[in-house]
Amino acid sequence: MRRAAPGSRVMSDRKLPRLLQTPAVLLLLIWMLIPLGMTLYFSFIRYVLNSLRRPEWTTPSLSNWRGFGNYEFVLNNKDFLFAIQNSLLIVCSILFLTVILGVLIAVLINKAFPGRGIVRVLLISPFFVMPAVNAVLWINMILDPVLGLQGLAVNGINGMIASLQNAPLVGWFFSLWPQLEPISFRATQTSAYAVIIMVTWQWTPFAVLIFMTSLQSEDQQQKEAAVLDGAGLWSQFRFLTLPHLSRPIAIVVMIQAIFHLSLYAEIEIVSRGNGNKNLPYLIGEFANNNIGAASATGIFAVILANIVAIFLLRMIGKTLME
Amino acid sequence: MGRIVLENVTKSFGDAQVIPPLNLTIEDGEFAVFVGPSGCGKSTLLRLIAGLEETTSGQILIDGEDATQVPPSKRGLAMVFQSYALYPHMTVRKNIAFPLRMAKMDQAEIDKKVEGAAKILNLADYLEQKPGQLSGGQRQRVAIGRAIVREPAAFLFDEPLSNLDAALRVGMRLEISELHNRLATTMIYVTHDQVEAMTMANKIVVLRAGHIEQVGSPLDLYRTPRNLFVAGFIGSPKMNFIEGAEAEKHGAKTIGIRPEHITVSADTGPWEGTVGVSEHLGSDTFFHIHNSGLAETITVRADGEVGFKHGDRVRLAPREDVIHRFDAEGLRIA
Repeated sequence: MRRAAPGSRVMSDRKLPRLLQTPAVLLLLIWMLIPLGMTLYFSFIRYVLNSLRRPEWTTPSLSNWRGFGNYEFVLNNKDFLFAIQNSLLIVCSILFLTVILGVLIAVLINKAFPGRGIVRVLLISPFFVMPAVNAVLWINMILDPVLGLQGLAVNGINGMIASLQNAPLVGWFFSLWPQLEPISFRATQTSAYAVIIMVTWQWTPFAVLIFMTSLQSEDQQQKEAAVLDGAGLWSQFRFLTLPHLSRPIAIVVMIQAIFHLSLYAEIEIVSRGNGNKNLPYLIGEFANNNIGAASATGIFAVILANIVAIFLLRMIGKTLME
Repeated sequence: MGRIVLENVTKSFGDAQVIPPLNLTIEDGEFAVFVGPSGCGKSTLLRLIAGLEETTSGQILIDGEDATQVPPSKRGLAMVFQSYALYPHMTVRKNIAFPLRMAKMDQAEIDKKVEGAAKILNLADYLEQKPGQLSGGQRQRVAIGRAIVREPAAFLFDEPLSNLDAALRVGMRLEISELHNRLATTMIYVTHDQVEAMTMANKIVVLRAGHIEQVGSPLDLYRTPRNLFVAGFIGSPKMNFIEGAEAEKHGAKTIGIRPEHITVSADTGPWEGTVGVSEHLGSDTFFHIHNSGLAETITVRADGEVGFKHGDRVRLAPREDVIHRFDAEGLRIA
């Protein structure tokens, strides 16, 4: 079947660009669909890396079909709900802290002062530290209750108070003070906070960088108009700077949410998952042997990421559209 | 009320003195225009009055009170900026209401004043829109609205029309003049455009390098420019300057004659030249005359119907009574 001459010309006009796009589109599809398809497939079969009792489970095959059994297994796992809650706690805390610190620091260094260039470079530098190195440095050198800065500081304060307790006049006041206990950040109750602290330290520079560039494009005449209109420093910040930053804040929140849902290295190094798991870490634990359960968890992670993404787009999309 | 007096005001940025000691009085209700070429310090002077720049020395008196150290928001002045400086994320209503909100006025009164200002400026239909959705002229009106609601002692305009296209500029010029007539509030207006200055001002202040060259009504400046700079700056097209023997005949180093004061014809007049470019505006024609032996080019205004062509020999007759004479220092000889 042939079309009329003009029609076929239009067709060929469209065909060429489509043809040229095809490799990229195909590559993307392969890139996404094959891993996703394999994960889905593994999540519905019994597939383990090592089993002496049932050696047939060690090769993926449709004859090992398990239906939703893997999903059931994951849902009944005691760590699953905890991992989801913990994922959200970590992501939300980091977002909250980095945005607030980022805005404050960016506003602070936006003013001209001697040495501003050096200060800026230093401020950005945590972002260039590798996550694993960051975690090792923090947990051993800073947060360690004995050898870290924390331990030294607590010891120092305790020593100072002890020596002041015998001082005349003010001694009674200091003898009321309790002995301070250093906090162990590898413990079940605190390991999540250690991760939050170190990731916040690493990612605040990212927020600062984005907010700083945005602040430099702020219209100075608007500020002068506001000064004449009687706005004080706080009102200028509240009514001009903050709305001006709404778009970069949306971008920072979006990018960081994506990154922090998949935190792994910090959790591994701080406590090996003790008291602090997120979905990727849970997947890692399952994947030591049970690939089926790991795949099912992976599918749950995809679902969680999508829920978070929809939520963020609803909340932030509006700001970006304006 | 809004009588503004500057006494020996100076401004330096580092070692560079931008405004040497300067004295100026702007009477209540006056429309004063600061005009001068770019970099002459006119905007700096306005910002000193507004309080956006600190005065290095001297005094600024507003209604007889020393305002030199008073913060900008307490001076009772409102300013309209070249870039409009509207708050982009607020609606027009909130933009206009902003100074009132900062003054903690109650909501009912704010609404009343905003509606009032919107009515004067024909903005009533746009109150719920954001500045980004408005045209340049409308944005300018919002900026003026934000100034009006404060009921300031004086309005300060910093080149407010330079971002508008030519047709709109003429319209807004009329609107601002109209507004001045209606409110009878002091207005200080900065521009580099001498046409704006001539058409709007009661009082023109011509500035050059921070110095006041001359202060006066538009016609004063047109009729009796104090020196060569003012003579060349006020009036369009520019005044013709002639030096040499012709000037000495009039007992001056330089004489100046405006294009509209020279009659061009085929056979009468003491001066002679060749027609170069002619600019036909319809109502008028401007001829640029070369080879007159007086100056490189002499510009002449003629009636729109006068039709000399490129290369024609013509004769020029200046009106003797309006020839301006200047001495070696460039000052006017009375």
